[in-house]
Amino acid sequence: MTEFTVYRRGFMVGLAATAGILPGVSLAQAGDPVRGGTLRISHSTRIATLNVLTLSGPAEYPVIDMVYSGLTRIGPDNTPLPDLAESWEASEDATSFTFNLRPGVTFHDGSPLTAADVVATFEAILDPDIPSAARAVLTMVERIEAVDDLTVRFHLSTPFADLPFSTAHANARILSKAVVEGDLSQIETTANGTGPFKLETYDSARIVRLVRNENYFIEGKPYLDAVEMHLFPDLAAETVNFLSGDVDVMLNVQQADYDRIASAPGVNALRVPSGRYINVVMRQDQPPFDDVRVRRALAMAVDRQLLVDIVLEGLGRVGNDNILSPEFQFYIDSPEIPYDPAAARALLAEAGYPDGIDITLVASNRPAIRGQVAIAIRQMAEPAGFRINVESMPHDTYLANVWMQGNFYMGYWGMQPTEDATFRLLLTSDASFQDTAWFNAEFDALVELGQATVDPAERARIYAEAQELILRDVPYIVPFFEDVLTASRSHVEGWTVQPISRVFFIEDVWLNRS
Amino acid sequence: MTSPFRSYPGMVGGLLLLIVGVAALFGPWLAPYDPQQFHPQVRLQGPSAAHWLGTDQFGRDILSRLLHGAPSTVFFGIGATLLGVAAGTIIGVIAGVAGRWVDSVIMRIIDGFLAVPDLLFTLLIVTILGGGMGHAMLAVAVAFTPGMARIARSAVLSIRTREYVLAAVARGESSVYIVGREVMPNAMGPIIVEATIRVSFAIMIGATLGFLGLGAQPPSTEWGLMVAEARQFMFRNPWMVVVPGIAIALAAMGFNLFGDALRDSLDVRRSH
Repeated sequence: MTEFTVYRRGFMVGLAATAGILPGVSLAQAGDPVRGGTLRISHSTRIATLNVLTLSGPAEYPVIDMVYSGLTRIGPDNTPLPDLAESWEASEDATSFTFNLRPGVTFHDGSPLTAADVVATFEAILDPDIPSAARAVLTMVERIEAVDDLTVRFHLSTPFADLPFSTAHANARILSKAVVEGDLSQIETTANGTGPFKLETYDSARIVRLVRNENYFIEGKPYLDAVEMHLFPDLAAETVNFLSGDVDVMLNVQQADYDRIASAPGVNALRVPSGRYINVVMRQDQPPFDDVRVRRALAMAVDRQLLVDIVLEGLGRVGNDNILSPEFQFYIDSPEIPYDPAAARALLAEAGYPDGIDITLVASNRPAIRGQVAIAIRQMAEPAGFRINVESMPHDTYLANVWMQGNFYMGYWGMQPTEDATFRLLLTSDASFQDTAWFNAEFDALVELGQATVDPAERARIYAEAQELILRDVPYIVPFFEDVLTASRSHVEGWTVQPISRVFFIEDVWLNRS
Repeated sequence: MTSPFRSYPGMVGGLLLLIVGVAALFGPWLAPYDPQQFHPQVRLQGPSAAHWLGTDQFGRDILSRLLHGAPSTVFFGIGATLLGVAAGTIIGVIAGVAGRWVDSVIMRIIDGFLAVPDLLFTLLIVTILGGGMGHAMLAVAVAFTPGMARIARSAVLSIRTREYVLAAVARGESSVYIVGREVMPNAMGPIIVEATIRVSFAIMIGATLGFLGLGAQPPSTEWGLMVAEARQFMFRNPWMVVVPGIAIALAAMGFNLFGDALRDSLDVRRSH
């Protein structure tokens, strides 16, 4: 119960590689996949919508990953794999990309997939009148052209080497042209995709059931007859149902339950190091966080290793306020920020707060670790002069009243596939969820430049400079990176999660009843 | 009237009340540790010499949290009940004394409220007002008011036709004098008994609201909230759930048993 392990980054990267590759190896060794059976997956957050253009719920991603396909798909090693596009070529200057579509793909309603569907989908994503989450990573796309029925060409306004990452965005899945041109609100509750499974039942309060797409474009897949997503609003009930074998897969395991579930008989627990993080939001357009010294003081008043030990139960890594985790290609090693309340108090006094600061920190109740981190920070920052009053609230209230508005609250973000996507999600002046008021023209310019640069060495230099700015100005406190935790019963073969938790490869899963 | 402590339940209830009362009045000074202080090296442990009732997920001392939570938990119950009793008594006495159509109108409205169970009614009010201890206390008080009004009215009705009241009316006393000096003192018995028993329900509803996240907020040491927070860790340290759970049960039982004994000793028909 009380043993603490300090992980070194080298070890964790090794673990990341193992977690990414081993499931594939064990799949090959487990014998030939058997067709048939129903996979029951439990989850604790509602599948509130099936709108593939906008959804962002943890349990919504696996559903659209089963129903829809994209041009490309992010693989376990965080590189784009072919999906609907068999292959692609970039022009020399990375301003034009040509995608060659798989022939003979059909939508679930039987209509054939053509370049016109792809063009219609991306035009909808880029249309400012249609809400879409993938637009932020596709802003450089000027025009999409259907060269012939099976060839699509993207024309870019600036060079952008990472376009195949952008087309793999979880919310950039291909809809049929008829759906895009019809009443778009129907994609909230219905789905006509090209993915391995077809939607059969959608009941957002209880169950979503999908059945095998017999015409899936990969011969012989999927192996499963059906997949059922069961909602368990109560975490304790979800764990009990999983341990008693009433469900086959638990989509997300809470840190507090991980050891118990991993040591239960007949269970395979999977732990994948990820760049998923908690970030403490400190708005800079009002006191007290308008002074970088106050932000630095709070950063020094957070004992990061203690948070990893007691909130994450050791299932994560210390972060040092860089929102990029070591998995990123252009990550720079961030200097360790030691826990030093005395120095923090001195810095706070220097910033004009010799008597400390009284402030309210808001934490929503989902996931549970948000509140726990807030309470821990309250306690750790007290000797530094921060008298923090923690206010917890239901997640819906938080989304409506505090998120993107408050000046001091707990954020929670999943890992993004690229540096560019990470920065444009939160930190550039025109970021999708800009909630810090850190409007830094120098940083914006570096992100633009990094996007338009093809040479890896040059990009590494540019992104390093951008990260230096983050570390200098502390727009967020990022105390740790959380491992993604999931579990399956031992008869489930091939169940994996990725660090970015957007793709699940459920067409590779099969049930080994022998 | 016989002493309520002469019956066995009355004695047990009185003893429990004494323990709860000491914890509520002196708990924060008796606690061995700061209730918010982390002891990361001894997280989620059972009872030990250093931590008599074990530690929680942050390594906070459960005994210290329990003692610090006693005042808010107990005074929540007493405060909510007092508010509810005061409001209910006023409404009930007005209805009982006024009689006729005033009585009918008030009582039909009260009957409407009584149709909704206490906890459900409280949840409804908290949902409208928003969470937090103050709102929760108000909600419990409002939920208690209809029941208390009925009891106060019935007490007043049974006294209204007594000879000493009729005598006061014949003397030409003012109605304020009659209510204040003749009716109220004699109607207080059933009201006090009911209030004592209701404190136990108020404590339980308060704990329920804390458990549901609608009452006290973390890192408060309110007992219901302690149970709610502990639930995630109950397989790793059952003491986290058991200790505040038993504390709630004992406090509620104390008020309940004592209230029962008080009723028995006040009720002439059952005392012999």
